[in-house]
Amino acid sequence: MLSFGVIAQILWTSLATSSYFVLSAMAFAVVLKVNRLFNFAQAAVMTVAFYAAYTLVGLLGLPGRAGFVGALVASLVLSAAIEILGLRVLRRRGASTMFVFIFTLMISELVAYLAMLIYGTWPATVFPSLFWPATLVGPVAVSGWDVPAVATMLAVCAALYAFLRLMRPGQFMLAVADNPDLAELYGIAKDRVYLITMLIAGALGAVAMFLYGTRAQVQPTTSIDLLLFAIAASVIGGIGNIWGAALTAFVLALLQNASVLFIPSEWQGFLLYIVLFLAIVLFPQGVHFRKISQLFHRLFPRRLDNTHPKDA
Amino acid sequence: MEYFYTVIILIGLYVVLASSFNLIIGYGGLISIAHPVFYAIGAYTSALLSRDFGVPIVASMFIGAAVAVIASIALALPSLRVSGDYLLIASIGFQLGLLELIKNVSWTGGAGGLTNIPSFLVQSVGRETYVALVVVVAVLSVWLVRSIAHGPYGRALSAMRDDELAYSALGRNAIATKVSVFALGSGLAGFAGALYAHYFRYIAPEQFEILQSAAILTMVVVGGMRSTWGPVVGAVMLEALPQAITFLNLPPSVLGPLQGLLFTGLVLIFMFLRPQGLVPAGDLWRATGDKDAR
Repeated sequence: MLSFGVIAQILWTSLATSSYFVLSAMAFAVVLKVNRLFNFAQAAVMTVAFYAAYTLVGLLGLPGRAGFVGALVASLVLSAAIEILGLRVLRRRGASTMFVFIFTLMISELVAYLAMLIYGTWPATVFPSLFWPATLVGPVAVSGWDVPAVATMLAVCAALYAFLRLMRPGQFMLAVADNPDLAELYGIAKDRVYLITMLIAGALGAVAMFLYGTRAQVQPTTSIDLLLFAIAASVIGGIGNIWGAALTAFVLALLQNASVLFIPSEWQGFLLYIVLFLAIVLFPQGVHFRKISQLFHRLFPRRLDNTHPKDA
Repeated sequence: MEYFYTVIILIGLYVVLASSFNLIIGYGGLISIAHPVFYAIGAYTSALLSRDFGVPIVASMFIGAAVAVIASIALALPSLRVSGDYLLIASIGFQLGLLELIKNVSWTGGAGGLTNIPSFLVQSVGRETYVALVVVVAVLSVWLVRSIAHGPYGRALSAMRDDELAYSALGRNAIATKVSVFALGSGLAGFAGALYAHYFRYIAPEQFEILQSAAILTMVVVGGMRSTWGPVVGAVMLEALPQAITFLNLPPSVLGPLQGLLFTGLVLIFMFLRPQGLVPAGDLWRATGDKDAR
């Protein structure tokens, strides 16, 4: 049953489907790292991005590129509005974490209900058809959606890495994430950094949702499920670790895809909740890859040093 | 008249839910939105025990509440050992995960719901008696929450919420306090769920989803967090308001989202314009030094 072909197919499909999981996990993780906020409003931003693309492409018949730009613009506008009109006001009032959380949660639910009222609860897709022609590469079937999705994910990851490491606003983001008060003393405008972070997260969410909507059916509450996936990845990957969240999102996608071999497909969704709960119980501080490596070195020092017991 | 009784029963049950949620989120300062799932646990446990195992209804109701207490401890203990924020994440996962489980398991009736739940009091004594029972339970719940909030345990809760480090330094166990208040609130919700199941005789997973979380949260925020009467006012107002919308004869596909918009929109308006709610908490609220009320 577990032939090379099956394993290779699962790995490839997981890599392809992880594209939107990785991007939404990074969007959640970057806000958590810089703004120190569990941003549930990300679900609202993703819902708006999808329905903007759906309106332009699915309903008005415009090309896919127009839908992508529409999704991006809509998500950026909503992200800016949430930050400027909501979060900034609450910050200035010194609102508690609970208050800010309720705000982000209510925004995501408000947008979901609005989408239900306007578009109904029927599943929708960006393009009328979800069929993508497939090509056989050895034993692996590669669909026409897979390669652009993986390429987009890798390009966005590289762009974000370069932005954070090489560009001034990105470095300011890292400074604020490290110590917001000290960063402010050095003349970094915190509010502007928080806005930039929200915009980046909005853009990441829009790309993720566009990819998702071109491959699967979307309902007004779909983005909340995607957000849970992002939360699980952020918790396991270590809070404040964007790349840890991205890597964990890929592993979770792999786990979900591989689970069809062992459990009925209707239980696939349930797996996420088990992982989320286990993550909180077993890895509340996230998986510390460095610590695991150190533990491994301590347990198997000779083998790793490539020295034979006799030589010791 | 039957419709009128049903509305009173729903208001009574929401008073229990909002007051018990106020105990958790307001007085306890614990961030969780999974209150409807404990309502569901109470409803399903009581319904299944009485329907399939012949357990007397009163006993099933109390067992339903007890199972909700146990489930809440199982959820809160691992989450709160780390940080309060994790309770929020775990609660969302727990709510959606448990409802997903209920939808996929045949003995709970699946997504279609559980039917033929034994009726309690309505057929033997009369509908008015059940209404009286629910009202008594609602009044007792409000009294219990008020007694807790204004008694020694309430002062301990307030101290823990204001400065957990100082609270722990005084030799108090903050986690035990948090878990106990969470369990107490969830137990009340479980009992309300049991009362719901034996009156309406039909329960389905969709009745306990995020819309319910938004509704209960709205009742507490709009009514006034950390005040005894705030959640009561919120529950009465927000349960009566959707009934008014029902008279518009809108199709269910419009009615549900419209109610949701009403709930979430009201919370957002109150958060910015009147964060203290309709019934401000007074000194008990201000003593916390919270700046939300500004």
